[in-house]
Amino acid sequence: MALLEVRNLHTHFFGREGVVHAVDGVDFDVDRGKTLGIVGESGCGKSVTALSIMGLIPRPPARIVEGSITFEGRDLTELSERELEDVRGHEIAMIFQDPMTSLNPTLKIGTQLTESLRRHLGMSKGEARRRAVELLEEVHIPNAEQRLDDYPHRYSGGMRQRVMIAMAIACNPKLLIADEPTTALDVTVQARILDLLEELRLRHDMAMILITHDMGVVAEAADEVSVMYAGQIVERAAILDLFDRPEHPYTEALLGALPQIEDERTREERLTTIPGRPPDLVNPPPACRFAPRCPYSGLGDACSVELPELREIRPAHWVRSAHPASEREEAPIEVRA
Amino acid sequence: MVVDPREAAREAPLIGAGGPGETAGAPIRQASLWQDALRRYMRNRGALIAGSVFILLLAFCIFAPIFSPYDANDADYTQTYQSPSAAHPFGTDQAGRDLLTRAALGGRVSIGIGFAATLTILLIGVAYGSVSGFIGGKLDNGLMRFLDALYGLPYLPFAIITLAIFGTVNFWTMVVALSVASWFTAARIVRGQVITLKENDYVRAAKAVGARWHRVLTRHLLPNTLGILIIAVFLELPGVILGEAFLSFIGLGINPPDASWGSMAQDGYQAYRVYPHIIVVPSVCIAILILCANFVADGLRDALDPRTRET
Repeated sequence: MALLEVRNLHTHFFGREGVVHAVDGVDFDVDRGKTLGIVGESGCGKSVTALSIMGLIPRPPARIVEGSITFEGRDLTELSERELEDVRGHEIAMIFQDPMTSLNPTLKIGTQLTESLRRHLGMSKGEARRRAVELLEEVHIPNAEQRLDDYPHRYSGGMRQRVMIAMAIACNPKLLIADEPTTALDVTVQARILDLLEELRLRHDMAMILITHDMGVVAEAADEVSVMYAGQIVERAAILDLFDRPEHPYTEALLGALPQIEDERTREERLTTIPGRPPDLVNPPPACRFAPRCPYSGLGDACSVELPELREIRPAHWVRSAHPASEREEAPIEVRA
Repeated sequence: MVVDPREAAREAPLIGAGGPGETAGAPIRQASLWQDALRRYMRNRGALIAGSVFILLLAFCIFAPIFSPYDANDADYTQTYQSPSAAHPFGTDQAGRDLLTRAALGGRVSIGIGFAATLTILLIGVAYGSVSGFIGGKLDNGLMRFLDALYGLPYLPFAIITLAIFGTVNFWTMVVALSVASWFTAARIVRGQVITLKENDYVRAAKAVGARWHRVLTRHLLPNTLGILIIAVFLELPGVILGEAFLSFIGLGINPPDASWGSMAQDGYQAYRVYPHIIVVPSVCIAILILCANFVADGLRDALDPRTRET
């Protein structure tokens, strides 16, 4: 049994303008010690999926309307707030996107770092402090002992993200959710943070869900990838399989939009873009969500009327499209604006 | 990920916007939030002068009666209505009491009531406002509509009614009377702050490590409202002190022979045409205090606002 099993998850936001189907039928598994990457563009439901697992979606307006999130045999959607608090930071931890705003400016780093140790492991002040020094050393912050008494404004962005990581791994969680952990950082710092995450993940035998919109980041860190589009998973495969043989037209388009430094030819070519915009999630089309932008979907096609199933096109490679690359004979239809 | 050598070169000596670069770990000169704020406050001349005058006034109220040769309540009918002189720098009143000693003693009462009432106001305001803002939803709506209804209550008439209900006037009934209808604004300020602050990423991060709601509220939210609260103390203070003075002036204040600045002004009012110094002394004290409090509030606001922080 996988460590985390998400089945048919629907998280909707009930707003004034109607119901936003932010996450609309998502399934995935995370195995012990493995890294699952979730990729997709802004607003496709990646972060809401993560927050749903943590039980941190803002209620109201959001609510998990359907589906289950099973973590070690327990359905997290059925736990009370009180029980969820015991899971958060203890068994499942999370790292957020912006380290500049994720630390409380009025509390010392040490206070924030020891919060979960004292809360979940019942450590005394002294024990927690000693452990906090170890944790800061583990995320490679020099002078850990003195740095504990600093306030966050004395840390740089990269260091703050290291502190956030130290906070997250403090109680040895079994699952770490990293929501765009490198997006707000400089490019060189990004690489170091990813290395650090990988190092810690191996040492502590954690599973990780890595959420990002950066194909480069998943390529570096993930074992398996789920591509999300408009609240649904459109393709799921092992990392190399996905990059070598993408099946879904959306995944192909995403990969086509990546600049290739090594490739001489691409210097003369322009990067491809995906025409159109993601669908309105208040009234999502009943059909394939990507159909209006899909170069292979014609007007009378079944996929513009009915939602294709997520099917296993070959072992361990799932795709939700009527026109996967390996079943395609037709050339792309002329792009409709 | 490909590391561009130019990128690496740029990174090495880089001092980022958030402070020292990634590799810097050497201890740097310690400066806490409060030391920063103090430095900025000192740079504001008006606030600095007002703060000094405020402290001098406090020192005067505390120490003058101790060193004064006169007792504030000792009537000496051979010395009534003395104008300021070397023996009595502020003169004497209709009972021959030394006005300097009496002004200091009245100041203790006025400032004491002022601070006690202000703190009570903030305490009620923080409790009401933070719960309302933090829990939100229907409860917030209900509490705020209730507050809207209370807002219509006029402050001074309500204080008078409260005093009438108590039947006696002493320090603590005065504090209650002055707080009972004036905590609404404080509650609104705190609620607004809490609502803004609870959307912060660090609140979500605290929840993500399993912090309970009361811990999130008391450890993560309220310390961030402290700056606003300190400013609010000095913004509320003038109103409360004026309220006390007004109540004392119309005869609802501290009972004689004890005095507050308001009751001293009331004493002087009866003879202000002939002996104006008796009303001038407490009035000037009140004016100085209120002026200072406003300047201090202004200076604190600039000093504690993180947006005015220079690097």
